[in-house]
Amino acid sequence: MVLSGWESVFFWVFALSALVAGLLTVMARNAVHSALFLISTLVSVAALFVLLGAEFIAGVQILVYVGGVMVLFLFVIMLVNVSAEERGSEELFNRTGQVTAAVCFVALLVFGLFYAVNQSAGSFASNRSEGAGAARLRTAETGVSKISEDTQRVGASLYRYGALPFEIASLLLLVAIVGSVLLARTSKQELVADDVDPRVIPELSAAGELTPAEIEAAARAKAFEV
Amino acid sequence: MTSTFALFAPPNFLDDLLLRFFGEQTVNYVVWPFIQIGAVITLVAVWALYASYLERKISAFMQARLGPMRVGKWGLLQPIADAVKLLTKEDLVPEKADPYIFRYAPYISVAATFITFSVVPFAPDWGVITDVNIGLLFVLSISSVGVLALILAGWSSNSKYALLGGLRSSAQMVSYEVSMGLSLVGALMFARTLSLSGITTAQASDSVWFIAYQPLAFAIFLISGIAENNRAPFDLPEAESELVAGFHTEYSGMRWSLFFMAEYAAMVVVAGVATTVFLGGWYFPGVYRLAGGSNNLYVFLSLVVFIVKMAVLLYLYFWLRWTFPRYRYDQLMDLGWKWMIPASLLNIVWTAVTIFVLQALDGRLDTVESLNRGVNLTGQGKGVAVFMGFAGLFIAALFLAYLNRHSRDFNLKKQRREIKLVDVPKGAPAVARAAADNA
Repeated sequence: MVLSGWESVFFWVFALSALVAGLLTVMARNAVHSALFLISTLVSVAALFVLLGAEFIAGVQILVYVGGVMVLFLFVIMLVNVSAEERGSEELFNRTGQVTAAVCFVALLVFGLFYAVNQSAGSFASNRSEGAGAARLRTAETGVSKISEDTQRVGASLYRYGALPFEIASLLLLVAIVGSVLLARTSKQELVADDVDPRVIPELSAAGELTPAEIEAAARAKAFEV
Repeated sequence: MTSTFALFAPPNFLDDLLLRFFGEQTVNYVVWPFIQIGAVITLVAVWALYASYLERKISAFMQARLGPMRVGKWGLLQPIADAVKLLTKEDLVPEKADPYIFRYAPYISVAATFITFSVVPFAPDWGVITDVNIGLLFVLSISSVGVLALILAGWSSNSKYALLGGLRSSAQMVSYEVSMGLSLVGALMFARTLSLSGITTAQASDSVWFIAYQPLAFAIFLISGIAENNRAPFDLPEAESELVAGFHTEYSGMRWSLFFMAEYAAMVVVAGVATTVFLGGWYFPGVYRLAGGSNNLYVFLSLVVFIVKMAVLLYLYFWLRWTFPRYRYDQLMDLGWKWMIPASLLNIVWTAVTIFVLQALDGRLDTVESLNRGVNLTGQGKGVAVFMGFAGLFIAALFLAYLNRHSRDFNLKKQRREIKLVDVPKGAPAVARAAADNA
C-alpha cells in the first residue's frame, strides 16, 4: 500500500480510531461498552483491509467477528451479572505486574512490526507498478472503476494450497461445537426438560449420572404440569 | 408525475452540466455517487413511510375492512400524519437505561440497513451506485451488523421484556443468517462472481433467471430472509402477546419509528438481493429491444422491471404476515437448524453435482457454451440444469424427511405420545414410567 492523497487520510483516520477504540476496550468499566469499543476496532481494521485491497478479508472480518462472534459475546455479557466489576472503584494501571506485562507485550509487538516492515521493505517497490495490473482487470458495471479479483485469488489459493489445513480447521470447529453442546446440558437438565428417551433413563441411573431421587422429582414436576 | 420526469432527465445532459463545475474524476467518483445515494435514500425513506400504510391497507383488504380512510383521499396522507405525531412525541429515556447506547441503537439499525443499498444494482449503467468484488458478502456482513442494534436496544432499555426480545432476536438472526448465506452459494457457482452486477449480467447473458436452476435455494433464501427481518411469522423478538413489544418496548417517538424504518428498509434489501440473485435483477427478456437503442430509456425500463420484481416479493411479505400465525420459539429454532441449514448444505452439494454433470456431458451434448460471464449454457445445457434444479427439490424433501425422522415433531402432543412407552397412559410424562420402575 502506497499512501497518497485520500488514501493516506483514510489510513490515518482508521488506524487512529482502531488504536483509540482498542485502548478504550480495555479501559471501559462496563463490559458492554468494552464489547462495543472492540467492535469499533474490528470495523476500523476491516476498513484498513479495504485500503490494502483485501476486500474479501474485510467482508469476512465484519461478517464473522462483528456479526457473529461479538453478537454472541454480547449475548453472554448480558446474561452474566457483571455489576460487581462495574461498581468497583479501583484505578486502572495501578499494579506493577499489570504495567510490566503490558510494556513487555507492547515491546514484543513493536519489535515484530519493525522486523516485518524490514523484511518486506524490498517487496513494496515491486508492487508500485499497480497500473499495469489494474489495466488487466474487468471494468465494473458503473463504468468508471475496475473490479478486483481478490475473492477469486483467495478461493483459488485456499483450495489449491491450503485445502488440508482448511479441512482440519473445520473439523476442529465441528469437534468444538459437539463438545460444547455435550458440556452445556447435563442429563439432569434434559430429564427436567422431558428430553430423555425413557429407555435411556435406567442406563443413566446405572451409570450414576442420575439418582433415583432426581428421577422421581422430575416425574413429580411433570405430573404437576400435565 | 414529476418524479417520473426527473428519472427521465437524460443523465448525459446532467453529466455535461456537472462537468462544467467539477473535474471528470470528481464527477465520476464523488458527485454522481452522491446523487445516486441521495435518490436511493429518499426513495427508501418514502417507501418506509408508505409501507406502514400498505401494511394497514393490505391487512384491511385481507380481513374485508377498509383500513385508514380519514386523512386525505383513501387515507393516503395517513403516513404523513403518523410521521408528524411521532416527530412531536416526547423522546423518553428510561431512568435506569444506559443513556448513550439507548440513544444510538436505532441509528446503528438504520445505518446498517441503508449502507447495504450501496451495492444493489437497480439497473444497468447509472442504476448502479457501486460495483464491488465482494458485493453479496458486503450485503450479508453489513446486514449482520444490524443484529447488534436490536441486542443493544434490548439490553440498554433495562427492562425484562426488552432484554428477552433482544436475546431472542440475536439467537434467531444468528441462526438464520447461516442458512441465508449458504443458500446463495449455489447461485454463485453459476454466476462465478460475488459482484451483484456480475450476477445479474451472468443471468442476462444467459437469458435465464437463476430461480430456474435453484428453486430450492430461492425458497430457503426467502424463508430465511423473512426470519432475518423479524417479520411475521418469525416476529418472535417483538411478539406482542408475550413480550409487549420486544426489544423496542421502552422506545417512543422518532427513535421507535427509526426501528420501523430500518425494518421496512431491510425488507427492501432482502427483496432486492432475492431479485438480483434469483429473479434476474433488472433483466427481462425483450426490454433491450423495446428501448430501441436509447440507453437512458433502457436503464429506466430496467429500473421499472427491478422495482416490479421487488414489489411482488414485498407483497409476499405482507401476505405472509396476515396469513400465518407466529411460530413457537422451539419450532423456530427447529426450522432454522434442522430444516433450513441441512437443506442449504444439500443445495450446495447438489449444485456442485449439477455443474459436474454439465461439464461431463459437454463432450456428447454440447452443454457449456463458455465460462466468460458465469457458466454460460447452451439450450440443452439449460434443460439439464433446470431438470437437475427441480430434481433437487425432491431430493431435498427425501433428505430432510430422513434426517428429521426422529426429530421433535411440530405437534407436541403427538410427539409426546410417540416418545412414551406403549403401556404408559396417554399424556403422562416419560419419566413417570422410569420412576415407577425405580420404586
